[in-house]
Amino acid sequence: MNSDPYKILGVPKTATQDEIKKAYRKLVKDLHPDLHPDDAVKQERFKAVSVAYGLLGAPEKRRRFDAGEIDASGQERPERQYYHQYAGQDAGRRYDRGPEFGAGMDEEDLSDIFAQVFGGRTGGPGRGAFRQAGQARGEDLRYHLEIDFLDSARGTKRRVTMPDGNSIEIVIPPGLKDGQTLRLRGKGAPGYGQGDPGDALVTVSVRPHTIFTRSGDDIEMELPITFDEAVLGAKVDVPTVSGTSVSVKVPKGASSGKRLRLRGKGIKGAEGKAGDQIVRLKIVLPKHTDSDLEDLARRWREKAGCAPRAELRRMT
Amino acid sequence: MILTEQRVLSEIQRLTRRELRLWVQEGWVRPAMGEAGPLFDEVDVARLRLLCDLRKEMALPSDAMPVVLTLIDRLHQTRRDLHVLVEVLQDQPDDVRRLISERLRTRVSGWPETE
Repeated sequence: MNSDPYKILGVPKTATQDEIKKAYRKLVKDLHPDLHPDDAVKQERFKAVSVAYGLLGAPEKRRRFDAGEIDASGQERPERQYYHQYAGQDAGRRYDRGPEFGAGMDEEDLSDIFAQVFGGRTGGPGRGAFRQAGQARGEDLRYHLEIDFLDSARGTKRRVTMPDGNSIEIVIPPGLKDGQTLRLRGKGAPGYGQGDPGDALVTVSVRPHTIFTRSGDDIEMELPITFDEAVLGAKVDVPTVSGTSVSVKVPKGASSGKRLRLRGKGIKGAEGKAGDQIVRLKIVLPKHTDSDLEDLARRWREKAGCAPRAELRRMT
Repeated sequence: MILTEQRVLSEIQRLTRRELRLWVQEGWVRPAMGEAGPLFDEVDVARLRLLCDLRKEMALPSDAMPVVLTLIDRLHQTRRDLHVLVEVLQDQPDDVRRLISERLRTRVSGWPETE
């Protein structure tokens, strides 16, 4: 491809800045990739035109180029992500107009489109077109909401403000998952004519909790216990996502990593069946061990035949 | 990637805060609304760059924008629908595809020959 920016823009070397700008605008209208998403030749030319205008559109750069201080290719901007690259994917569906194709469509709409594509007549003539001309469903509006982990487990209410200043209340059902989208029927933009209003689509992110993590409908947490509780067994209070604590029996002689399952203390989903809370034991020693504890440990070491790492030696 | 209004403005230098708010209000770009204000994802940012091109580089008047945007959105929707249709057709047996290809050749000039 020609790399002379004057030739690319189709202007003489003596052109004024105004003439360059005019030529550029005309070319942009002809070549913009978002207006011709499937035309690779126009996209390449558009890139070249952008680079050329980046050079000649700025008087100082143009002077340096004319003086040979910089070359025609030295000015390329970092690769831009064009709108059509997204609009061609599912993410672009958000900006669709009119009835959807495929997902969320009732059978009538589907057969209308295939009737158009294949020339068959499965529905009444022109029905789809009439529906579009007289009325149309309002657009869906998107919202994003971040909530606390515990709110997501227990359910809550939130209010968000729309671009026009109005606000809507959003009910978060108990057991909501991170990244889940709630559809509020009729809370989107108003319809055209007799058309129904669109929906509000609320994507909810859940902030992670410092203690609880979620795995399906189960809640996992680590429970610190002392050395004597591990040796002798104990009853320990454990917090749950519902806000109340339950008393848990730590069995005698428990090791770190042992898992205890609290039935029904996990997330209560919409279907009513609750997950479990899984408690991982972790034996924690005091920051500073005193001489009593050290004596005890020394005496125990002398007579105990405990070899927890025997397995490691055998397997390696 | 989710950007706040401030981050979008530093990402797209030629865009002013006033324009951004106006375009959101007009519905030309539809960010998600968070508790602390609008949140833009990469689709919104790419669309904002396109809006800048249309308004600034091509000097399109403001009142022409809804028409242009509707046409662009319809173009992309139709393109995606066509891609779906093409994928469905690609799953069809060879003889069905050959038949469709032959029919298309008689209707559409410049349709490529099949082997």
